[in-house]
Amino acid sequence: MSRFASIAVFLVVLLGLPARAQEIKIGAVLPVTGKESKIGGAYKQATELAVKEANDAGGVQVGGKKMKVNLTLLDDTSDAAKSAQLVEQLITQDKVHAILGGYGSHLVQAQSVVPDRYGVPYLSGGAGATAIFGRSKWVFGTLSPVEHLALTQMQFLDDLVKQGKLKTPLTIALVTENTEHGNDYAKGVNEFVKSHPGYKVAIAEKFELNTTDYHPLLQRVAEAKTDLFLADSHLEDFIAMHRTYTQMGLHHLMLTHGARGSDTAARKALGPATDYIFASGWWSDLLPYPQVKEFNVRYKKETGVEPQWYHAMAYETTRALLTAISKAGSLDPEKIRAALASLRMERSIVPGQVLYFTKTGQSDLPFVVTQNKPGGKVDLVWPKEDATGPAVAPIPRS
Amino acid sequence: MQKLVVVALNSLLTAGLYATMSYGLAVIYGVMRIINLAHAGLMMLAAYATFALNDRFALDPFLSLLVVAPAFFLLGMALYATVIRWLPRSSAGPSMQSLLLLFGLWLVLQNLAYAIWGGDTQSILTPYTMSSVEFFGGRFGVPQILVFAVSILSLVGLNVVLRRTYLGKAIRAVTQNRDAAMLSGVNAGWIAAVAFGIGTAFAAMGGSMLSTLYAFTPDFGRSFLLKAFCIIVLGGMESFTGVAVGALVLSFIENFASAYTSIPVSFQDAISFTLLVVVLVAAPGGLPGLWRMLDRRAVAR
Repeated sequence: MSRFASIAVFLVVLLGLPARAQEIKIGAVLPVTGKESKIGGAYKQATELAVKEANDAGGVQVGGKKMKVNLTLLDDTSDAAKSAQLVEQLITQDKVHAILGGYGSHLVQAQSVVPDRYGVPYLSGGAGATAIFGRSKWVFGTLSPVEHLALTQMQFLDDLVKQGKLKTPLTIALVTENTEHGNDYAKGVNEFVKSHPGYKVAIAEKFELNTTDYHPLLQRVAEAKTDLFLADSHLEDFIAMHRTYTQMGLHHLMLTHGARGSDTAARKALGPATDYIFASGWWSDLLPYPQVKEFNVRYKKETGVEPQWYHAMAYETTRALLTAISKAGSLDPEKIRAALASLRMERSIVPGQVLYFTKTGQSDLPFVVTQNKPGGKVDLVWPKEDATGPAVAPIPRS
Repeated sequence: MQKLVVVALNSLLTAGLYATMSYGLAVIYGVMRIINLAHAGLMMLAAYATFALNDRFALDPFLSLLVVAPAFFLLGMALYATVIRWLPRSSAGPSMQSLLLLFGLWLVLQNLAYAIWGGDTQSILTPYTMSSVEFFGGRFGVPQILVFAVSILSLVGLNVVLRRTYLGKAIRAVTQNRDAAMLSGVNAGWIAAVAFGIGTAFAAMGGSMLSTLYAFTPDFGRSFLLKAFCIIVLGGMESFTGVAVGALVLSFIENFASAYTSIPVSFQDAISFTLLVVVLVAAPGGLPGLWRMLDRRAVAR
């Protein structure tokens, strides 16, 4: 009897071995709790949905076989040191085949040094800072550089000049947070201004995150009497700064806070004072592609949530990794890395509809520009061919 | 001249905000020689309480002070009875245990807020949030003016309580010399509990008023706490009038440095912390200490 049991155990183990290898092990470290929990939680939801959809379809085709995806998702509590340590744990203990990176440039920066040490493909959908990429061949990211966000906004403004809605020369108040994000944004604006003589940065100021008093900064902006106000801020700073801006009675022909503007929280906090602010982002649910419309419906149905840019980018990042693994036809890390490097994911929901990575490993996709309209409405105003409404310029005085 | 007046008035209004968020720290330090590191957490919790009252019952944030301040006074007393009173006493300065305990309390409050409200950014929008009034050619936010008014009322109220009531005199006595106060029949333990309650109520008032100006998350309050440290050090740690003067000095330096020099605005915090270091080195007693020293020198001459 005991001999029979030993043989049975041996057979089960033997049969079990190939079954385990049929699984794609993906690790993800996200800030599900703590400071970044709002967007971190959204990333978790979207990542899990993308994995569920892949598994519901029978798994991912790898080298002629369908393999199920086994996602191990850990919470770094928005702590950079813990974030890097958990990535290491996923690689050394859980033996994952690839890693999905976190959200927030500081967390992704901390994580991104680990994959290089172990030679494991790493794809992040939550960091746009250029400094993270180009240092390791294993690190990829789907968020395009923040300086291109600024560049897109300048192209949008330049188009308004061409339409005759704005007139050059235009002077700019450039107000950016003192972070990598803010520095990249300022770089993008300055690069555009250098090659376009109709524009001039009349005042460039930086501010610290969670500044307690914006009067001194905005007093300088008021004295500079510029035509455009281009800022790059986090949500809390945008709200506090724009309240002071409105109370001081400031007005510019066009105004942006970078990626901020159409957020529900901002519109709730500022009311009609957010009307006509324009903002850029990595994605918008207003994109007119059929796959975006399908995604909007599917996402709402599955989660009960209207998808925001962070849901879409997390979802598409997971899809990109699974597509690359399928294309690699193997779970070999080097093959997955090479597949990521040469990936061209067609019919993607991202702007431009094709997701790919540049030589540095970072995507270089077009940005969208939206503009808030009265009554809580938002229009996609750039790219022009995808616009859902006309851009209003200059901002009418209330 | 017009610019000078506008910058001065802005500084005055900002000083009101700075003073209100610092009184609580000074009360607790004065009586108990404890630096309340949980001050930022209490301000954050009060901001959420104000938000909840506004969201559920449409209660104006300034009227909600009538609910929030007494509730947090009781919370402070409860915290004292259950946590703070077990700390070892030290007349020399804050003990390491007190710093660690209150830092831990801050983390608990933060995580409690994450558990209840999540990490979403919250804010309060009232009909006057975006309003301003114009005088001397400048425009000044209505919420800032209201915060300034509450700050002045708080200072006057605190001074009346401290100078005219037995409780106030007992608090001052314990602040100046705990042992002598106890020898005179003052129940120092009870006074410490009341002081912690008052300090917590003031932190809550600060938080409620900050919620009318800023958006907040459970992480809210850190930068205000650091500024409040600078202010109470400038104000001599124990004197409420000193705190008001400290807030005024810091606010004037920040605003005038930006208006009349080319120092980048992002150096605003650096100015505060440089001031903190300079005061700690040159005049550890803060502005009141400096004033007393100058006064003694004048008398000696």
